Amino acid sequence: MTVHECDVCIVGGGITSAMLAQKLAELRPSARIIVVEAGRSIFDRENRGRYRLRTLEYGEHPWPGDYIEDQQAEGIISMTMAVGGLALHWGGACNRFSREDLRLKSLYGLADDWPLEWAELERAYGEAERRLNVCGEPSPYPGDERSTPYPQPPMPLSYNLEVLKGWAGQSGYRFNPLPMARNLKPADGRGGCCVFDTCGDVCPSGARYSPDFTFRQLMAPKRIALHDRTLVRRLVVDDGKTTVAAAEARHQDRPDEPVQYRARHFVVASGYCWSSHLLLLSSSPRFPNGLANGSGLVGRYMNGHRFISATAEVAEQTYPGQNMTHSLISREYFRCATGQPFVRHDLRVWESSAGRTPRLRDDGGRLLVGDELLEDWRSRTKGSAVRLRAYVDVHPSIDSRLTLDPAKKNRYGDPMPRIEHRLDAATEGRMAATRAHVAGVFGRMAKAGGGRIVSTGEGDYLDHPGGGCRMGTDPATSVCDSHGRTHDHENLFVVGAPTTPTGGCTNGTLTFVALTLRSAEEIARALPT
Amino acid sequence: MERRTALRWMASAAAALPFTRLRVFAQRGELPPDAVATLREVAATVLPASLGPAGVAEAVDRFLAWTRGYREGMALEHGYGHPCLRFTPASPVPGYVAQLAALDRAARAKGGRFATLDLDTRRALLDAALTAAGVGALPRRPNGQHVVADLMGHYFNSSQAADVCYQAHIGRQTCRLIAVTTKRPAPFQADGGRR
Ligand SMILES: Cc1cc2nc3c(=O)[nH]c(=O)nc-3n(C[C@H](O)[C@H](O)[C@H](O)COP(=O)(O)OP(=O)(O)OC[C@H]3O[C@@H](n4cnc5c(N)ncnc54)[C@H](O)[C@@H]3O)c2cc1C
Ligand code: SF4
Repeated sequence: MTVHECDVCIVGGGITSAMLAQKLAELRPSARIIVVEAGRSIFDRENRGRYRLRTLEYGEHPWPGDYIEDQQAEGIISMTMAVGGLALHWGGACNRFSREDLRLKSLYGLADDWPLEWAELERAYGEAERRLNVCGEPSPYPGDERSTPYPQPPMPLSYNLEVLKGWAGQSGYRFNPLPMARNLKPADGRGGCCVFDTCGDVCPSGARYSPDFTFRQLMAPKRIALHDRTLVRRLVVDDGKTTVAAAEARHQDRPDEPVQYRARHFVVASGYCWSSHLLLLSSSPRFPNGLANGSGLVGRYMNGHRFISATAEVAEQTYPGQNMTHSLISREYFRCATGQPFVRHDLRVWESSAGRTPRLRDDGGRLLVGDELLEDWRSRTKGSAVRLRAYVDVHPSIDSRLTLDPAKKNRYGDPMPRIEHRLDAATEGRMAATRAHVAGVFGRMAKAGGGRIVSTGEGDYLDHPGGGCRMGTDPATSVCDSHGRTHDHENLFVVGAPTTPTGGCTNGTLTFVALTLRSAEEIARALPT
Repeated sequence: MERRTALRWMASAAAALPFTRLRVFAQRGELPPDAVATLREVAATVLPASLGPAGVAEAVDRFLAWTRGYREGMALEHGYGHPCLRFTPASPVPGYVAQLAALDRAARAKGGRFATLDLDTRRALLDAALTAAGVGALPRRPNGQHVVADLMGHYFNSSQAADVCYQAHIGRQTCRLIAVTTKRPAPFQADGGRR
């Protein structure tokens, strides 16, 4: 058996891990930090332009081997397991939650409050935005005040988005450019954005923040060690104590040879799915329900937000393809007055080519060829299609769960997770009203701008999922405190998405990172200076 | 044998083949000259004549380059929301060769090579071939269902075709200065779209 000793062992190598490792290395330069990541390192930035072309031309995956074939979860939204995690191909949208997210119970009698003050989270948001080099513009809505400016000005609006901003603004809702973790100019070893417009696949210039850059920067001067292709299978508690003594792992090339990590502190930064999974897998005769699970809530209250979309047709002329990965956001409905029917959601506007793509047959079914196809296409490009979307605040029930599925096992015989999201009764009860409200908002925008809604749709999964190890002050009703320190094991932390009690109504990663940066301070406090 | 296992087996078997046989294996991506000739004839009908003969020839060349660059058994994007592992299927080229030969035979049965037939006849032949192959819409990228739909999809869904359609230099998914995207795309001038 190979044994590695360190001060902090971080399980998982996604964006929260990268931010945690970076901050810990700054706060405690002499600390020995090891990041253990199940998947491989894909550090070949020089090939990303080629990978991108292969994706555009052939649909090939631009991150070769970023998954582990026998490490699959049912109900998961992405199978990426590699250094960088899901943020290898995230879009980089960096919205803040609002103070209402932290006080749902107190304000509305719904779900639960978060065990921290808005001012603390707001400060951490500023730091997260700085580290991710977010470009953005302050929101015009009262309640969205910031204590620090964005590190970069907003992404300049494309001509199309400027036109659509004028259109959307007629509704009375106020729109900003979406804040994004995109370098407008080269910075921090990454390129500047040149509008390749494939952020959600791969960004060849590195302008869109990706955690692999941070890991490489930390590894070169040996500020951390990264052990990739190494799956942590369980955490083991000290005999007779409640502290975690070791993480037991296996390297992909040496599946029969156990690897052990012994550390003062263990941080589970394995994302919303694998964090709960690891704690449940770590059961023992002393902890038959897994670790940190005195409350029985590990793997419960799995959250995220619903999304409702629409396409509108408008008279304004745009030219689809200028910057399709950028959008406008309105925070009009981030807050809901108390005493009114509860509804919260963000509101986004994109350029779109829906209904304006070339087609093979005309309305009569006649095959179109050559210039007549081009003419038919051109005749349908007058005006514009607009993509609208709302991420809707929905709340999980206690039975929104991640469980171990004994029927599906990896190569080591460990049962794989199964996630089944369930909403609480209050959310289900108001869902029809929520849909009607969102349809009304889309309708108001269309009417005010002289357009019409031509289609609507609703997602069938929860986006930006979190939960499973929710934070709280009471060990009977939560898994960890606001710093992610588990109630049951003093030296065991869970960070980011899994700790959130509810999923908010906008992209979650900035919040996961902000929470993690707060955790980093607490972990550093426990390390020698 | 599972498809992926089969592809892996084929790859390792190919590695063990003598060089000449390996070349045959690699050439699955190459359309033979007579198939290319039929494809060029068909392209003159299905691609916009307004591109000019050189523009049409260039679009066919790009499609041929696409077929040569095709790789079997490559992981496709595994998606978001409901991810799953999928791999690129076998090369579409053998199917293309058969489809082009069938089009050529059908054209000769109507009295000559494809290019010599009147437009209604050509349209009817294409319609029958696409309908028989179950093609309902232009594919976003070639999918092997029918070579004609794939050629058309490859061109009409390109960034260049969008510019031609809008008569403006949009340059979708090309590397541009951010400042360029903040302006209304410059209209095509007498340059016909080339700058
Ligand atoms: C296509 C796409 C677009 C997105 N766009 C946006 C966006 O625009 N804005 C936004 O806010 N969010 C977006 N997201 C979501 C965002 O990417 C995630 O919220 C974020 O990356 C989660 O980071 P994480 O560190 O919590 O977890 P992960 O990224 O899941 O990282 C966890 C890591 O831990 C590793 N791991 C797990 N278990 C173990 C173990 N037992 N041992 C060792 N290693 C382990 C995993 O392999 C993984 O690499 C997007 C996601 C995708 C896929
Ligand atoms: S639009 Fe900018 S950030 Fe997105 S992929 Fe292109 S260069 Fe990268």
